[in-house]
Amino acid sequence: MKKERRLFLKGACVAAVGVAGASGLSIANSSTSKDDGTPNCKYALIHDENKCIGCDACSVACRETNNVPEGVSRLDIEREGPFGEYPNQFYRFTRKSCQQCEGKPCVNVCPTGAAYHDPKTGIVSVDEWKCVGCLYCIAACPYQIRFINPVTKAADKCDFCKETRLKEGRQPACVEACPTKALTFGDLKDPHSQVVEVLKTTPNYRSKTELGTRPKVFRIASQEGEIKL
Amino acid sequence: MSPFHFDSLIWHWPIAIYLFLAGISAGAICFAVLLKHFKLGKHAYKSSFVQAACLIAPLAVFAGLGILVVDLTKPFDFWKILVFYNPTSVMSVGVAVLMVYQVALFSWLACLFKEPILKWCDNRWPIVEKALNILMKFEATITGLLVILALSLGAYTGFLLSALTTFPMLNNPVLPMLFLISGISSGAAGTLLGGVLMKGNPDGKEVHFIHNIEIPLILLELALLFTFFLGLILSGGQSQVAALNAIGEGFWGWVFWAGIIVVGLAMPLAFNLFMTTSAKRKFSYVAITASCSLFGVLLLRNFILYTGQMTVA
Ligand code: SF4
Ligand code: SF4
Ligand code: SF4
Repeated sequence: MKKERRLFLKGACVAAVGVAGASGLSIANSSTSKDDGTPNCKYALIHDENKCIGCDACSVACRETNNVPEGVSRLDIEREGPFGEYPNQFYRFTRKSCQQCEGKPCVNVCPTGAAYHDPKTGIVSVDEWKCVGCLYCIAACPYQIRFINPVTKAADKCDFCKETRLKEGRQPACVEACPTKALTFGDLKDPHSQVVEVLKTTPNYRSKTELGTRPKVFRIASQEGEIKL
Repeated sequence: MSPFHFDSLIWHWPIAIYLFLAGISAGAICFAVLLKHFKLGKHAYKSSFVQAACLIAPLAVFAGLGILVVDLTKPFDFWKILVFYNPTSVMSVGVAVLMVYQVALFSWLACLFKEPILKWCDNRWPIVEKALNILMKFEATITGLLVILALSLGAYTGFLLSALTTFPMLNNPVLPMLFLISGISSGAAGTLLGGVLMKGNPDGKEVHFIHNIEIPLILLELALLFTFFLGLILSGGQSQVAALNAIGEGFWGWVFWAGIIVVGLAMPLAFNLFMTTSAKRKFSYVAITASCSLFGVLLLRNFILYTGQMTVA
């Protein structure tokens, strides 16, 4: 029995490493295959609220990697709780960062096109140079995660590390930093990617979909915590 | 939560002033056109009221654009808004309308003041006369275009906010109509106030004409406000929360009921009705009525902007 379990764990590890390696590869590929014009990928992220322990390793890593100045942030972990009686207390953690909307309200309102949707990766980004700082996108984002970067004076937000880690062919900084593997990143268009696997097998939800935003950050709801009406 | 500082607040009062100025410009020029075509004819430029409207319209647009530029986080990059366009952005379309509007505005003003301009030039620059003569040929087209552009500008001030799905109170189809009508009534008030300040006759036919339009405008504005808030309340959810927050107790509730409804709408309506029955209009009546209206519209812009951003969907 024990032996079987160990074998299973081993197998799972091998599979996990394989998948991680493969998705790492596909990232590397997509960033180098710009010339053929149709990379056809659509990055998405899953935050497993069960695995998240609220340690903030992700937001710290994000700040360092993307040079995010003090006072603003691309990523926050919001805490709710504690719920329940001591010693069975628990918190609920939710991720506050760009949802990489397919409906892209921020892109639609930007007068200069500085807020844009990158067709190659599906990532919503900001062209620092084109941005005039009218704040329209900041008002239009229903998730309220955009901010003016105090250094560049341009709108800023999470770009799935497009300009930093993805360029190096690596996973986003927050994903790499998470000690509990609560974050899964990958390509929705690749049927064998880990994100697709998780999304197909685990019940998940997205925030404020009723506004037509079609976010690409998926959440796996915390099993604990209250159910609110 | 303080009335002027809260987490979800993104656009501050300069934007409200900008919306107010764009609206008053559009309204004032509409009245200048109306006065010229229905009351005064060729000698319209001699009327203080038309002159006032013709001063307000361009000055308000310049001031509004100035405020918009200064309010950017990168004011020196403002030209990028003029160079890059995004057809899905209400702001982008609005800026384009503003630009064309100014061209139409100045062409129309040139036609209107043709005689004094020519007199002033005194045959010194024959090119001016030639240019004016060409413009005059298209006067009807320019006038039509100007009215359409002015109405678009007035509605745009509302569309700019109603495009935001983030805020259920702003994301409301009645808003552009409400802003257009209140903008036109602020244009009327500005024209009247400017006109009497420039020594126009407070009992002149211009005043009678504008007042006759003002009464239905105020009634329409009240109806639109009613539709706006009742619609929000009936939709329930966050829309209802937003509406009740705005017009309920507290600072903004006072602004709405005392400032907008009583001073901005009910009082001008009462004064107007009184003036229609009383024989003669005095300077003070016209000036006070117009000031109340202007004050009300300015409050309305601030009220909608601030309370609209208080509740997030
Ligand atoms: S979450 Fe906000 S910033 Fe990100 S894509 Fe959606 S609307 Fe834009
Ligand atoms: S702040 Fe910058 S990115 Fe945002 S809408 Fe304005 S110009 Fe576009
Ligand atoms: S993907 Fe990159 S930019 Fe976005 S939150 Fe993670 S570390 Fe920050």
